[in-house]
Amino acid sequence: MSTVLERLDRLPRRDLTVLALKGISTLVPGDWQNITSANALIASVMGSDDPALIAQVRERADTLSRARHEGYGRALSLYDAVNRSQKAAGGLRLLANVGGVLPLIKQVAKLTPTTDTLQAVDLGLKVAAEMLAFTQVNGLPGDSFAEFGASLNEYAGEARVRMAALICFDALLPLGDQALQRLDDLLGQVGQKELRLSPAYGGMAAMIPGRGDDAHLSFLRRGVDQWLGWAGGYASSLGLNAQKAVQALETTLGPWQGGFEQLATFLDAFTDTYQHTGVQAVARRLVERAAAEI
Amino acid sequence: MSRLLRWAIGVTLLASLLFAAFFLLPFRTWLPGGTVADVATSEVVNGSAFNRLFPKTEPGEQLVFTQEKRGFSEARLKQADAIKALLAISDTTTAPAARSKFEGSTEQLRGWPLVEQGEQASALLVAERFQVKVIGQGNGLDPTQRHELIAAFDLDGLAALRPAKDARSTRALAPGRQQPVAIPVPVAKKEAAQPIPATPEPAA
Repeated sequence: MSTVLERLDRLPRRDLTVLALKGISTLVPGDWQNITSANALIASVMGSDDPALIAQVRERADTLSRARHEGYGRALSLYDAVNRSQKAAGGLRLLANVGGVLPLIKQVAKLTPTTDTLQAVDLGLKVAAEMLAFTQVNGLPGDSFAEFGASLNEYAGEARVRMAALICFDALLPLGDQALQRLDDLLGQVGQKELRLSPAYGGMAAMIPGRGDDAHLSFLRRGVDQWLGWAGGYASSLGLNAQKAVQALETTLGPWQGGFEQLATFLDAFTDTYQHTGVQAVARRLVERAAAEI
Repeated sequence: MSRLLRWAIGVTLLASLLFAAFFLLPFRTWLPGGTVADVATSEVVNGSAFNRLFPKTEPGEQLVFTQEKRGFSEARLKQADAIKALLAISDTTTAPAARSKFEGSTEQLRGWPLVEQGEQASALLVAERFQVKVIGQGNGLDPTQRHELIAAFDLDGLAALRPAKDARSTRALAPGRQQPVAIPVPVAKKEAAQPIPATPEPAA
């Protein structure tokens, strides 16, 4: 298994994911940098270009990310699980959109669940993944809802852009401008059946605290409650809405003719924004620790 | 279906079940490599013990704790939304190499050795075990500012810390780190204590 810093070094410098994030970052104050070099990250944290020092920090960071109890690797596997499911769901919905020509694809299109409820489950799972990854990286117990809520205000740099991307790509575009207000209702309609339909749930179930689907569902709702309080304020302070998100994306991705939902599907199927910013966030925390421990 | 085929299928199923049981089920937490440098967690001081030793903030400053793990605790010192410095305490039990840099140190702070790492980091080794580090961020801090920050930690409280050893700690050691157990052998001791006559007494 590759370490966190190796994954950081392998992140793309310029592709659809990066362009989408660049577009969204125009909505967020402060500039966003696409950090894809572990050595540059270490140098900026240490405030020094000494190659020997950088090598020392890097070695320590690799030791830490290989130790399973430290949670850095586990946080990445949470992001991976969410990303895999996003791609699978996005691909299916894309098929459903272009389907209609081939009889076989028509059948697939009938099978794909595209309801708002499922989109809400997807968003709920992403927020839960964010919270679980946060607790893994910071070393808090898995159900510290209050700490998570408090620390959302502290999110700086890449985390602000990643939260803006989450709000735009997974809430405003597919669910409409009232997404954040509707989310609680939508999650209230979610039962075990809908939860089980979501591919991300299969990958994450073992990492969500509590036994059984009902316990996991109540965990999701409590996590989302915490997040909604913050996200609502954040979205209104930036004046985020679907129209603005599309305009921001058009500055980097080029003109878009289709509807909001199709854009959301396209982004789900072809970009890894959540995983990309996730790796960057975990790598920064890991380097901050390694720099302090050498 | 021939009898041989049935046996073959049965054995294959059994073998795959055994394989899955040993390699796919989450036994990984029992294996070595779970903790940093394979040091048992009970030998390391928990980060929650470090939190109260961090410096008190001055007006306008804010201390935000970012990580708390076994043997480590870190906080950001912020002033009006800008990060001024990273403050951290770590237990060097999991990183013995970190101690070696203090051997050549010429500076001292309250009797503990102090070293500079690069242009922005200062480190202090307390009680030959705990490392206190200040790393300047953003516009950076000059060495005197960093040393003042280090001195503001509760260094005496830190020197007095000990890991909470529990009864299970000896069992929790990872393979390869276990010490040979010295079992006293009473019989051999007794014989050693009493001088044995060099020659058996001749029978009367």
